[in-house]
Amino acid sequence: MSLLACQDLVVRVADVFVVDDLQIDIRPGECWGLLGPNGIGKTTLLKCLAGLSEPIHGRVLLDGREILALPRRLLARHLGMLQQHTVYVFDSSVMQTVLTGRHPHLGYWEREGPADLRKADAALAAVDLEGFSDRSVTGLSGGEARRLAFATLLVQEPELMLLDEPTNHLDLRHQLRIMGMIRQHCEDGDRSAFCALHDINLAARYCSHVLMLFGNGEWCAGPASDMLDEHSLEKLYGCPVERLEGREGPRFHPAEA
Amino acid sequence: MMPTAQRRLLFVLLALLSTASILLAAAVGSVDLGWSAWWQALWNPASEHGELVWRLRLPRAGAAWTVGALLALSGCLMQVLLRNPLADPYILGVSGGASFAALLGMMVGVGTAALPGLAWAGALASIVIVFSLARGEGPWSGTRLLLTGVVTASGWAALISLLLTLGPDGSLRGMLFWLIGDLSYARLSGWAPALLALVFLVCMGMARSLNVLAMGETTARLLGEPTRRLLWVVYLLASVLTATAVSIAGNIGFVGLIVPHLMRLLVGSDHRVLFPAAALFGGLFLVLSDTLARTALAPRQLPVGVVTALLGVPLFLLLLNRARVRQ
Repeated sequence: MSLLACQDLVVRVADVFVVDDLQIDIRPGECWGLLGPNGIGKTTLLKCLAGLSEPIHGRVLLDGREILALPRRLLARHLGMLQQHTVYVFDSSVMQTVLTGRHPHLGYWEREGPADLRKADAALAAVDLEGFSDRSVTGLSGGEARRLAFATLLVQEPELMLLDEPTNHLDLRHQLRIMGMIRQHCEDGDRSAFCALHDINLAARYCSHVLMLFGNGEWCAGPASDMLDEHSLEKLYGCPVERLEGREGPRFHPAEA
Repeated sequence: MMPTAQRRLLFVLLALLSTASILLAAAVGSVDLGWSAWWQALWNPASEHGELVWRLRLPRAGAAWTVGALLALSGCLMQVLLRNPLADPYILGVSGGASFAALLGMMVGVGTAALPGLAWAGALASIVIVFSLARGEGPWSGTRLLLTGVVTASGWAALISLLLTLGPDGSLRGMLFWLIGDLSYARLSGWAPALLALVFLVCMGMARSLNVLAMGETTARLLGEPTRRLLWVVYLLASVLTATAVSIAGNIGFVGLIVPHLMRLLVGSDHRVLFPAAALFGGLFLVLSDTLARTALAPRQLPVGVVTALLGVPLFLLLLNRARVRQ
């Protein structure tokens, strides 16, 4: 049984035809990479999978239930999304922000308990933000803000994580660390992730499956090892790609003319 | 975030200061009581001074406290609703509708007793107009609500100017005081505090949701909030609070903008702490301002709206500066 299923999904936004008749099943334990050039509609597709917007046609099912029919509160306990940008208008502390991840799990008058605080501390430690609890979110660097947003998602504990370019603004070490945690999220227990990425090699290294968007509704999906080769990547990005054999499998880089 | 113990201390302090400010308001005024006469009057409502304290000063102080708390709470809600720290309770035209109706009443010579009712009706008309125009289909749009509200407010302002231009000279002074905000005729009726208490409880129940909403609509939806419904509830609550405040005391400026800001600087942006702090401080601030308005140039009485701005501006700039230094 798939955790998230797209059936006959047609998504368009303005002039961009994102996917035509998309059929994919994201099963427990799978980590999906979403690849495609700029402006092809990766964010739009993610929003549709998160139930934030309606598709033109078709359905998105979470655990077999139509996502648009689920109350948001219930949905937020099973599905969480890291957005591409986070803007903080009102000042707030790092701890207070990370605790918002517990929001869907708490009742109306309920306050965060010791267990919630422990989860928040653990998540901040996991993203290297120990000792930042009392810092103001408006004073964080781009990479720190990104890690805080990821920690909030960890604290939310969704079965399915949707991530819009999770490695944006991150240095090399934190890129690997966050991708490692996403992979771990999928492998421990019956959970999944689906992340839009621009780094082909992060996808090759961490993703079990890949969905590629070619534009004009064209897509292809499957296990990463079958999907990632220089021909499909050249078609995808419109530039020559060279394949190197790494210790853990193939790696790709732009070919020199 | 403030530590819990410190937060409790702040609430106790604000509650004590609120009580003290109301008692102070009962002591001072055009008839100088002196402390012993004031103490006697408090315990003997039937005496001559008791009448003064219990029938004039305390009701007025109670009304001031209630209006201050209403405006502060409304300001907090408007700021999170529009996700703009510059929003105040009057930005969406509620007070414009109330003012127009009240001024029209004054012009045709309606008694002061009927003004709150008229003002409430005007405010309600404005709420309905903005609500139905901004609602529309499609997703919630804060920009659309803001524009609809601001333009409606401008429309009311034009109509008010028209009334001021056409109004008989005799009623101009009353109209002006009403527009600045004045508590001279304010009397405490039971329903305003009851409404304040009710809306306050609703706000506390929604406080964590509003923390999430302050992070943006999409984030709030992803964290489980049905934002469209939540935003309209916030709009209606803020409007009802504003309408009630304005119907009692006219357009007292500044309290609804500055009190939420001050309290954010002091206690942080968690609405579970911000709401009670803002309500208590808003009440306290307006009681003190009104006491000053009654006594500063006695026997002349100033409209309290002048005092709130004169006190609020330097206080705000001072705290803002200190907050910056601390960072």
